[in-house]
Amino acid sequence: MGLNNRNFMRGLVLMAIALLFGTLASRYAIGALHRSGPGLFPLMVSGFLFVIGLIITVRSRFVEPVLMSYNVKNIALVLLSLVGFAVLSEYVNMILGIVFLVFCSTFAGTSYSVVRNIKISLGLIAIAFAFKNFLGLSLPLY
Amino acid sequence: MEVLHNLAFGFEHALTIPNLLYCALGCTVGTLIGLLPGLGPLSTISLLLPLTYSIPTTGALIMLAGIYYGAQYGDSVSAITMKIPHASSIVACIDGYQMTLKGKTGLALFTAGFSSFIGGTVAIVVLSTMAPALGEVGFLFGPADYCALMLLGFFCVSFVSSGSLLNGLAMAMVGILLGMVGTDVNSGVARYTMGLPFLQDGIGIISIALGCFGIAEVVKNLDNKNVLTPFNGKIKLMPTWPEFKRIIPSALRGSVIGSVLGILPGGGPTIAQFAAYAADKKFSKYKHEIGTGCIEGVAGQAAADEAAARTSFIPLMAIGIPENAVMALMMAAFIVKGIQPGPNMIASHPELFWGLVASMWVGNCFLLVLNVPLVRLWLSVFKVPYTVLFPGILFFCCVGTFSINNSLDDIYTTAVFGLVGYLFLRLDMEPAPLMLGFILGPMLEENFRRAMLLSRGSFSPFVTRPIAGTLLGVIAIVVLWQLFVFFRNLRKSQPPVLVTEEGVAAG
Repeated sequence: MGLNNRNFMRGLVLMAIALLFGTLASRYAIGALHRSGPGLFPLMVSGFLFVIGLIITVRSRFVEPVLMSYNVKNIALVLLSLVGFAVLSEYVNMILGIVFLVFCSTFAGTSYSVVRNIKISLGLIAIAFAFKNFLGLSLPLY
Repeated sequence: MEVLHNLAFGFEHALTIPNLLYCALGCTVGTLIGLLPGLGPLSTISLLLPLTYSIPTTGALIMLAGIYYGAQYGDSVSAITMKIPHASSIVACIDGYQMTLKGKTGLALFTAGFSSFIGGTVAIVVLSTMAPALGEVGFLFGPADYCALMLLGFFCVSFVSSGSLLNGLAMAMVGILLGMVGTDVNSGVARYTMGLPFLQDGIGIISIALGCFGIAEVVKNLDNKNVLTPFNGKIKLMPTWPEFKRIIPSALRGSVIGSVLGILPGGGPTIAQFAAYAADKKFSKYKHEIGTGCIEGVAGQAAADEAAARTSFIPLMAIGIPENAVMALMMAAFIVKGIQPGPNMIASHPELFWGLVASMWVGNCFLLVLNVPLVRLWLSVFKVPYTVLFPGILFFCCVGTFSINNSLDDIYTTAVFGLVGYLFLRLDMEPAPLMLGFILGPMLEENFRRAMLLSRGSFSPFVTRPIAGTLLGVIAIVVLWQLFVFFRNLRKSQPPVLVTEEGVAAG
């Protein structure tokens, strides 16, 4: 039940974040209160966060469990399209990046149409050119 | 009477034909660019600053101020219609977007515009009557007082977030930790950068806002197989009289809170909207509806946002200290025009100071007149199938985040926060307190370290200083109240029942 329980998972995630930041903070100089190092404040906040995470985890045993739901496919497609857009814009040009963004992300939509995607891509490319020429944004379009 | 005389003098300058045109142009262009997701007041002003170089000084500053307010309003449009915020419209995402889901987009946008008008008007009264005196308020606050003020802000998140105090505090702390990423200003040590050069300056607030709100919302809509955008209903623009009566108290409350917080260095519109929202959740007659698409949730924060945007000119013009990045840019514009903001500015350039103050009200009227008819236009533009709209939203998120530093690396950061935001969404962890923590975190750390240094490691200033002591006392009362409520609910609670996100599933 635990890993499907949203309240329980919330506590675990918070404790994991606290441990991650706290462990890394302990590698920086801690110093003393009157002359604190770069690690002191993050370590204090991580400590508080870990305690809150622990309380939420423990409390999850006493309150109504809530099932957690998620869809890996859609978030993966959206992230892939964003990363692909950035990579193509960096190594080829942003026009190709826009085409990739549209064709990849729309796999997550309710329907898929190549003609529609071409129209959306052309519209976004036109907007990108307007941004570059009228607003002065330095978009790497070509 | 002297104030009225000064304002009349200001209106003489603000109501000249050229200055009226500059004001109208600034408001229109600012609104249009502010509408684009990711392009907030800061980037809009920096993009359009060169336009003002060839304009006379008073006209140029009036136009820049118009761009600032226009961009702020434009921001709230994308926050309300698509849940894509900028720093100044984070809170508008909460109830504003819920109203959109209920088919009340027009009403939400009208409420935001009208409340901004009220907020702006109240702030202008504050600005014109108390600017020189209020400029000194910031000097009363020491590092310990600032720490206490920020801690109070974090405890207020219990009212901002729909969950418990603990959830809100936890998210604020996650925000503080994210704010630690980058170079430590005291020691020069790069913290949590993982060796990546682009993280040395820290994570951009836009990357977090667009990722946690915008991208996460797009994926949520895709998960729900949304075919149409949420605002495909009838466009009801004007509120009914009972709705009007609900808007006014919240807008007035927000105006006062925004006016006060706008003056404090480190305050400004972002914090003001959180504070006004928290106040509405505590004091509004309809407080139980807030968070579910309630008109007060839009009115209070919009008024506070606008009021703070105007009173944040006070530290700049009265003491010469810009309190945030937007004001720093405005200061640059003043200096480019040969004006040094500071205590002597009102005496040496009265036409500029009072002309700018009067133009703020003129700009307010322009925004109201401009935006009421434009609401229909915005909605007709957005009334397209979601399958067509969402690639565009993703594109605007990418361009918005890219345009801040002209760096494609920021798009990777936005993608990472899209994943983080989605995880938070599924875990029912609200990103709004995270944003507050992220904004206040570095200031909290700086003031904490300064306070400790001054007191040689003693916590005594936190209780001996009147401002800090009072604020921490308020926090103690909030915590005790929350503990009382928790234990009271625990005693009343029934044996656990299995519940899905949609409702009760099994016993």
